[in-house]
Amino acid sequence: MDAPTPAVQVGYPELVDIFDDVFQYAGPLSHDTSPDQVPRWDSLQHIALVRAIETTFSIGLSMDEMMEIRSVGDIEAILRRHGV
Amino acid sequence: MTRSSARSDKHGLGMIAEPIASPRGGLSIDQIVDAAIDDAPSALRRRLVLQTVDWSGIPAPRVAGMIANLTRQGLALPRWLAGALLVAGHVLPAELVQTPDHRVLNQLNRYAADKEGAISAADIDPLAARENIEPDIVRAIVTRLRAMGASADACRLALAHWRDVPQAMRPIRPDLAAYLAALPPLKISVAGFSTTDPLAADLSSAFGAHGRNALVTQSDFGGAITALLQPDPGAEAHVVLMDLDGFAATDWRIPVSQIGDLMRERADILSNALDAFAARTSAPLLINCLPAPSAPTAGLLDRRYIAGRRQAVELVNGRLLEAADRHGNILVMDADQALGDIPAARHSDPKLWYYGRVAYSADATRALACAFAEAWSLAMRGPAKVLALDLDNTLWGGTYGEDGLEGLACGEDFPGNAFRAFQQECLRLKQQGLLLVALSKNNADAVTVFERHPGMALKASDFAASAINWQPKPENIRRIAGELNLGLDSFVFIDDSPHEREAMRRLVPEVVVPELPEDPASRPLWLRGLKCTWPVRLTEEDARRSEMYAAERQARALKSSAATREDYLAGLEQRLIVETVNADTLGRVAQMHQRTNQFNLTTLRLTEAEIGAYVRDPKHGFAFLGRVADKFGDHGIVVAATISVEGSQAQIDTFLMSCRVIGREVERAFLGTLLTFLAKRGIERVVGRFAATAKNGLVRDFYAANGFARVDGTEEESSWAFDLRVQTPPRAEFVSVQLEA
Repeated sequence: MDAPTPAVQVGYPELVDIFDDVFQYAGPLSHDTSPDQVPRWDSLQHIALVRAIETTFSIGLSMDEMMEIRSVGDIEAILRRHGV
Repeated sequence: MTRSSARSDKHGLGMIAEPIASPRGGLSIDQIVDAAIDDAPSALRRRLVLQTVDWSGIPAPRVAGMIANLTRQGLALPRWLAGALLVAGHVLPAELVQTPDHRVLNQLNRYAADKEGAISAADIDPLAARENIEPDIVRAIVTRLRAMGASADACRLALAHWRDVPQAMRPIRPDLAAYLAALPPLKISVAGFSTTDPLAADLSSAFGAHGRNALVTQSDFGGAITALLQPDPGAEAHVVLMDLDGFAATDWRIPVSQIGDLMRERADILSNALDAFAARTSAPLLINCLPAPSAPTAGLLDRRYIAGRRQAVELVNGRLLEAADRHGNILVMDADQALGDIPAARHSDPKLWYYGRVAYSADATRALACAFAEAWSLAMRGPAKVLALDLDNTLWGGTYGEDGLEGLACGEDFPGNAFRAFQQECLRLKQQGLLLVALSKNNADAVTVFERHPGMALKASDFAASAINWQPKPENIRRIAGELNLGLDSFVFIDDSPHEREAMRRLVPEVVVPELPEDPASRPLWLRGLKCTWPVRLTEEDARRSEMYAAERQARALKSSAATREDYLAGLEQRLIVETVNADTLGRVAQMHQRTNQFNLTTLRLTEAEIGAYVRDPKHGFAFLGRVADKFGDHGIVVAATISVEGSQAQIDTFLMSCRVIGREVERAFLGTLLTFLAKRGIERVVGRFAATAKNGLVRDFYAANGFARVDGTEEESSWAFDLRVQTPPRAEFVSVQLEA
């Protein structure tokens, strides 16, 4: 069966799946989670992250938003702005 | 709104599920849902509420009550509602479940409830072969299969539908690596003219769907030509991803009259590289043709204008097809077909292009990966050899034994014209080399229908063999395979009866049994799309035409034959301009320091201010940049270095280059120029440092390859020295250099 779900401390539980899918990261997520804690979060996988956010939440991110994302908190702020 | 309220929202209505405190004492959302279920006929008629209900929160007796209510009113359960109920885990009465995918999910739901009626591979196979199953249904089936321990079946199904339903991979992701690892490996080398990482990742799923574990290695960024000229001898298959912007961006300073010439030269280089590839390896090369461009550079005249993107695409694609005509191991994958169901504007995502030179969107990349795998699989396996066809309600409408000759539908008029069109498609396949076999439960005289009925496109003589009798079809097909001396795995069995298909699958699993659509109108086009019948080799006539092409081309090719990497580099006419960094270029150089990962010797992330310090005081240091141009255009600033000086010794603090120009000797030319410059300044010894990161393995031997001697260090970090008093700085043969310092 599935591994135990990590504690969710973020407002969007879908992000746990996204981080698992994109970075194979199953550690705890918080607003402050950033590339420092997620080893595979490099510039290339950043593209995959943006794609996953766009498809999961059915929104389109702009280039500025793409650059704005430097932590999970940034993602949450963008999602709130998109009315997700 | 807060997320906790959304999570407790049992009807899945999302953010509107706040408890409603109506000033007039109105209904709560829960009450609205209950009311809609109670009066389902009316809710359905008015298309209200039921579409958005989360049925997993509704108890089974209420669902049963709703269905009984619909039945009482003479309403069938709509397919979308049946699907939603099944996805939520409800078990439906068998007579209300219409499609094979719904039947399987219903069976899995029943198994989950009372462990009865397990599923076998023969139930999953048709679903894996069937397209256009609702995404939610696919995902639900995958999830249930995994939960009942049929992880391999779950993986197989998820991979088969991955192109259109990528979300179905999620439930099996923990099992996928193990599933793929158990498949026979296939070493694939991937190259392109833009970033290939997304494609490389997608190829593993795409080839997994064809039963192979893809072990993918990637060439340097943009290294397609080099990869073709020096194909990796260990690769069992090669993939080259073509995209127009990566292949040849147009430089609008070049006069229009020359743009067309440059594009032709570019195409010649590719064409020659393909010849060189074919001369060096017999492993298959999968290369996509360029898809039709979505944004023209000459409006409606794009096809005619010499610098139109459309014209460029057609020119390049023409060369690719000619190369495929010349060499049997070059397989050109038709990107327009592969991307056909994705709107052209969504083939690329500009943001990804500017961010990381990713040429195709996520959906398009996935579709291309699947088409590459499909093309490979088809080429390796070869198409089916025999089309075994049922007669009644397959080749003609109606049943001969019951309706008689006059009662059969096949001819110029509706609805017989759909059957006649299907027969025409069978004739096409016969012309493309398949044998036709009639396989029917009928009296033997049914074969005379082909001669006696005026509407038949097929004649009895078109069939290489037939078995028209009352024996089971699996027995008949085995006998015919023996007669024709062909393996059963080269047979495709086409029959309108799900029972016959099921029996064939169970008793002769080697035979390919596709799911014939129920509606005769959709069958002719369905048969065209049936991939196991697609030809992989050209007919003789096509081959003759390609000989003609070859002669034509030979005359042309004499001009430019870049058959080796050296010739290619020489033909590029690369120019490197080395400058000291100034206020105008500081920003770009600092940005390169932040972003460059691969070709970066020390990965010191110097900021603008820090680089500025090198610029200001030439006694203590220098900051250099290099611009590269070649005959296809200007690449801009692609290489940079900072050097600190102490007395007669200099140290290269940073040295980095954009991966756009890797493999073209630019780095050697740049380093050589810097060393020459330092020698003239009276420097005697130059020290370079290498600090390993996860990404810069590429430059581990950079200093060694350029004449530096190792001073000390470990695998992780090493120092290298160049003695300018006795050593001559390296020169790059294929780059002309100009120093402006």
